[in-house]
Amino acid sequence: MNDHGRQDALARSVELDRRALLRGAGLGLGALALSEVLGAAPRATPEATAVPHFAPKAKRVIYLFQAGGPSQIETFDPKPRLRELHGQPLPDSVRRGQRLTGMSGNQAVLPIAASFAKFAVEPSTGVEWSELLPHTAKIAKHACLLRAMHTEAINHDPAITFLCSGAQIAGRPSLGSWLSYGLGSMNRDLPTFVVLVSKDASRDQPLYSRLWGAGFLPSEHQGTRFRSGKDAVLFLADPDGVSRDDRRATLDALRRMSRDAAERQGDPEIDARLAQAELAFRMQTSVPEATGFAGETDADFERYGPGSREPGTYAANCLLARRLVERGVRFVQLFHQGWDQHANLPGGIAHQCKQTDQASAALVADLAERGLLEDTLVVWGGEFGRTAYCQGRMTESDYGRDHHPRCFSMWLAGGGAKGGIVHGATDDFSYNVAEGGVHVHDLHATMLHLLGIDHERLTWSFQGRHYRLTDVHGKVAREILA
Amino acid sequence: MPFVRHALFAITLLGGPALASSDGPDYGREVRPLLADRCFACHGPDEAQRKAGLRLDREDGSRAELASGERAIVPNSRDRSELARRILMPSDHDESMPPAEFKRPLTSAERQLLLAWIDAGAKYQPHWSFVAPEKPAPPVVADTAWVRDPLDAIVLSNLEACGWRPEPAADPTTLLRRASLALTGLPPTPEEVEAFRADHSDAAYEARIDALLASPRAAEHMATTWLDLARYADTHGYQTDNPSFSWPWRDWLLESLRSNQPYDQFVVDVLAGDLKPGATIADRVATGFQRLHRMTEEGGSIAEEFRQEGIADRVGTFGTAFLGLTLDCARCHDHKYDPVSMREYYGLAAMFGGIDENGLKPYSLPGDAPPPFVRLQTPEQEARTRELERQEAARRAEWSTLRAAALARFVPTTATTTRDDTTPAPDDAYSFEALADDATPNAVPGRKSASIDRRRPEQLGAVRLGEGARGKGMHFDGDGGLWLEGVSGIGRHDAVSFALWIRLGERNAQAALVQASGFYTQDADASGIELELEDGRLRWSAIHYWPGSAASIRTRDALPLGRWVHVVATYDGSSRAAGLRLHLDGRPAVVDTVRDALDGPLASHTLEVGSRSRGVGFRSGAMDELRAWRSALTPLQARLVARDDGLEVELDDETRGEHAADHDAVVVVARQAWRDAQRALAAHLDPIPRFACMADSPWARSTHVLRRGAYDQPDLARPVEPGALDAVLPFDPDLPRNRMGLARWLLDPRHPLTARVQVDRLWTQVFGAGLVETPENFGLQGATPTDARLLDLLAHDYARGDGSADGAWNTRKLLKRLVMSSTFRQDSRCSPEKRDRDAMNTLWSRGPATRLTAEMLRDQALHAGGILHEVFGGPSAKPWQPEGLWHEAGQVGNYVPDMGPNSRRRGVYTFRKRTAPPPNMSAFDAGTREACVARRGATNTPLQALVAWNDRVHIEAARATAKRAQSEAVGLEARVARMHALVCTREPSPEELAALVQLAADATRRYAAAPEDARRFCGSEDAELAALTLACGTIHASDGALMSR
Repeated sequence: MNDHGRQDALARSVELDRRALLRGAGLGLGALALSEVLGAAPRATPEATAVPHFAPKAKRVIYLFQAGGPSQIETFDPKPRLRELHGQPLPDSVRRGQRLTGMSGNQAVLPIAASFAKFAVEPSTGVEWSELLPHTAKIAKHACLLRAMHTEAINHDPAITFLCSGAQIAGRPSLGSWLSYGLGSMNRDLPTFVVLVSKDASRDQPLYSRLWGAGFLPSEHQGTRFRSGKDAVLFLADPDGVSRDDRRATLDALRRMSRDAAERQGDPEIDARLAQAELAFRMQTSVPEATGFAGETDADFERYGPGSREPGTYAANCLLARRLVERGVRFVQLFHQGWDQHANLPGGIAHQCKQTDQASAALVADLAERGLLEDTLVVWGGEFGRTAYCQGRMTESDYGRDHHPRCFSMWLAGGGAKGGIVHGATDDFSYNVAEGGVHVHDLHATMLHLLGIDHERLTWSFQGRHYRLTDVHGKVAREILA
Repeated sequence: MPFVRHALFAITLLGGPALASSDGPDYGREVRPLLADRCFACHGPDEAQRKAGLRLDREDGSRAELASGERAIVPNSRDRSELARRILMPSDHDESMPPAEFKRPLTSAERQLLLAWIDAGAKYQPHWSFVAPEKPAPPVVADTAWVRDPLDAIVLSNLEACGWRPEPAADPTTLLRRASLALTGLPPTPEEVEAFRADHSDAAYEARIDALLASPRAAEHMATTWLDLARYADTHGYQTDNPSFSWPWRDWLLESLRSNQPYDQFVVDVLAGDLKPGATIADRVATGFQRLHRMTEEGGSIAEEFRQEGIADRVGTFGTAFLGLTLDCARCHDHKYDPVSMREYYGLAAMFGGIDENGLKPYSLPGDAPPPFVRLQTPEQEARTRELERQEAARRAEWSTLRAAALARFVPTTATTTRDDTTPAPDDAYSFEALADDATPNAVPGRKSASIDRRRPEQLGAVRLGEGARGKGMHFDGDGGLWLEGVSGIGRHDAVSFALWIRLGERNAQAALVQASGFYTQDADASGIELELEDGRLRWSAIHYWPGSAASIRTRDALPLGRWVHVVATYDGSSRAAGLRLHLDGRPAVVDTVRDALDGPLASHTLEVGSRSRGVGFRSGAMDELRAWRSALTPLQARLVARDDGLEVELDDETRGEHAADHDAVVVVARQAWRDAQRALAAHLDPIPRFACMADSPWARSTHVLRRGAYDQPDLARPVEPGALDAVLPFDPDLPRNRMGLARWLLDPRHPLTARVQVDRLWTQVFGAGLVETPENFGLQGATPTDARLLDLLAHDYARGDGSADGAWNTRKLLKRLVMSSTFRQDSRCSPEKRDRDAMNTLWSRGPATRLTAEMLRDQALHAGGILHEVFGGPSAKPWQPEGLWHEAGQVGNYVPDMGPNSRRRGVYTFRKRTAPPPNMSAFDAGTREACVARRGATNTPLQALVAWNDRVHIEAARATAKRAQSEAVGLEARVARMHALVCTREPSPEELAALVQLAADATRRYAAAPEDARRFCGSEDAELAALTLACGTIHASDGALMSR
């Protein structure tokens, strides 16, 4: 093909041509991240003509996902009126016929349940914080509290899938994989998107690999799950009886074989694959180094809390998240299960808060001290909120709450989000959004915006459609931009 | 790559840039993709979104006068064409097109292309894939000797136009490896290679190909593609993601592929096997293809939401697998690019929505198949079933005859009572006069009281004593209820009756009165007998699995409000709706049959009154004098019970006659014999596994267009009849409007897509890449074929056959044709010029080079070690995977790997859990099986090297290969070479051998000095074995193992 032809072709479709070019250059899609990793060729940008589309505020994200649907009423959205109405039926004028789940939807009465937890004004910001989150209150000046988040899904599986991928149905790329695809890697020897799951959480609702999957994006963009224990990444550890020297020798042999094969076959794909094997070899050192906590002082562990010395706990994962972003990991997503308090909510949520409060706050403070908070966006939140009314039996000291998609709370910190503010409000029952609503798509659009991405321009062509994280929706919540 | 390809063709085939040709740019290849991408969203088929009344996807629309008086396109005149004016405007202008907010601007080259097209007359052509394929004329080529098949001539014509020669034939070893992997997914053994090297004549090659195609391995290999399309998995896929019962469909698939079932029959079977005359069990199992989609068990799920998801999944999978079209867009609006209207989408939804299901998989019935289902009977069991059914029918007929005779014998008497007219004593009776210590007494001596003891902590509400029909009665708040401790275990063949007074305080939309159907996590959970209120009417049911396997009746009229109504509900244990009866105030109620398809056991729960956990209770209702009998009261007895309860009820002769007949000694014996025959049949059938399949039901809900695709927004004014896609091929009015008609529609020789989509799939199996780069989308936004002539030639021949008896839709024949071609046999190496100008090998200018799939890599490693356990078909196997993966995700249960040979089966049999798929396969793009997938990726990640080095399966295989090499060769070098040949088929090159020998020699010394390490690594202090194992792991990660070249 002459240049004229190629240019024409190039001009006509960035996406298709990009793929052709890459393969033509012998890299293949799988090598996209690699070229970045190796600092080799400038990274070919995805369908969008240039990412970032504008100057980013945040370079990386730590998403503290609280799975199960934390109740906003005990944590972030104080509702004194509920105390007055405690035990009375929820007025129809509040519910407005909105759907309920099949778990409480059949209850003959929906009695209002007031929060057992008390709130107090945090003096530096004037924001009310729950007594269940004393540590988080101390980072109030960094926190951008979103009190009017809302979603569409009412059951866990579709709802958590929606938060994590912008769609309720399976098969779409996860948030982190979009970032990996759009922004590429910032380091030589760690994955771009790392997932951590708390081992100390009560696993009332399961997690699914699709929550960090790549969907229809090339699978190198999928999240890499780090586990606690010997094999932090699956298959990372060499078998017993195989030393680092042995592995280095196998890599040397593989290198010789690959160069020979490349010469004979003339297929540049072989070099690309060898480079990935070399990266694997480096990861065998770099991952244990990152997860090993060497160099962390007693003061560090104390800051994150007693659990932080034990790998795999929420506290340890928060500390690890900091170590990972320090080492250039773009997106770290922690999952902490156990927030699904259909019954026994007071005891349950107090336990959840105790498990997560100190370490979440420590992470923000630690990042701030290290100068990382400025360009690291921290996100805290679950997949939906909980009902103002009680599900099941209500006693003097005990009650439960059902799933509630119409409003819930989240907080952001750092990375260009305005600190010390509250954005959005709900009605007196924390049942409907009163103002400043932020839909899941809006949250995603805002996160991408902070990362320098126009959410309407980061697309991938699949099944004849240009897919986006935000589908055809999403509005940047400009009010919260610092 | 279509654009690169087009440009390439334009230049190489037409002898110059396409833009310069007199016809202007090609509409199908160049213009339409551009219009589709930038314009059709607002000026395309979607009527609701159309702006300015302009439709650019059709020639007449583009020429039409618009409201503005302008015309978008005036052929040959860019000056008078509004489109030209708009696209040339600065992008910030209000009238600029595409509008800035669309964020997909035209480049200047794209503008020039559109202008050139207008200049040349702006000709439209129908989309290539919507025109039936015709056999292309054979092209003229110079090197006729190279042409073995007409397909070679087409390939060669393109190469010659570039001034190229095809590559010479690959050497026999390479070719045999390539063909073996392409057809069976496994490489040849060194012995097979040796034999083929000795004789690699055309005849010998053909004989090898025939053998490969006939091998069961070929079926196992091909199955993977269809398992991806069928979103086959071994779990349900949502939330708890419990195991499903799926593998019988895989077995059906394997058998279909092994027997080379013609594709037309395959299509009929998977779409409509159940509608074939005399459908067999296998025919019904085939339709399980449509039931393998995900199903949720999550508590609180809304049934209709998930029923619609299931239907949409069936429609989407049908579109991807058989049409190569993405239909999902039309679920919410008319398709923006392809001619698929929302109405047509729901026409397909009506095709696939004809089964009687509610869309949920109940958590409380683990392991049971959601109806409709087929019992997987062996031929012996089927014979026994037929015998038992015959007996059941005979007993029923005898009973019926004897009862009719008894009725005829009945002589009306003047006596008001007979001995048999006395009311039988109830087995349990609650008069609801007292409530103390959370219990109300049972009036039958020795029987347990009813308690309000709450079974679950979240149980709400309470009952209280209040005014009754007689004395006091029990009043319900909708959340509180009673447990009849002594009444449980009512089975499908057990007769039972209840009498009670009820008073409704409101017209309850739904309310549990008396139910043994248990805990509700969702609507599908009810299994057992239940007496409910539904929209104020009484419903009386015996349920195995709602709604597909249940018998249920309902009163036609709503019950009166605010007054006591006397109710007697009886069930005779016959499993039939006719065996359910309701009496109101002593008279038979007028009822409608709601369901009459009970076909399985009832779950057995303790009876609950007035409430149901997470279900709807008897709000504002009251109840009195509840009695239960372990027999079916006759209508006469029902009246007598009512009379005993103080109602004035006449006893007529007809009811007396019925009663006398039912109590006739001979009839009683005959009825018992019939019931025994039913029990025997059920006892035979119940243990036989039930498998979810398709079966249209008269009870299924009708289909409507869903506004914006929302499950709760059916447009009731727009009921939809089953239908297909008229723009693809009009639906023949003579065809039945059901799935069988749909299958026939697909197989119509004029259908433009069916054969093309399947041929492209088979081409991909052999050549590693499709003729259409987007196998999931042959529509307007999909890729154009690399050479439409190739696709059309093969599709035409495949669908019509070669005139021989088994010529049409003969998959094996087509595969053979492809691997026998000169095109396939080319060396995959080529000149830098070809690699540069035909980077993607879209011209097939050399032989295929493809990365092995996850399954093939696993199978190859085990096969090389001689430890692949080859058993055809059967349940899924659980090979080793890292510990704790399921548990860590919070999943119920944990993965218990199989031990022994079952852990070493082919990858196609590996247990697939959707939310935690096997990680060593995911690393090689095997996917999650959550949705239909037509094409896997072939990515390149660091995890792949780690799997090859450290996955226990690979280590075990490497060790076995090393051991085998030790016994089959002498000396380190020969052993290393042997391992290489076992895995990669070919001998290593001198450099590869040198690298491996150095590695193995160094490692042998190192392990000899540290025998403990050798033992830990491979269980033996044999230093050479450990070293060879290490070397074999390196081979697994090398190009020779990962690729078929």
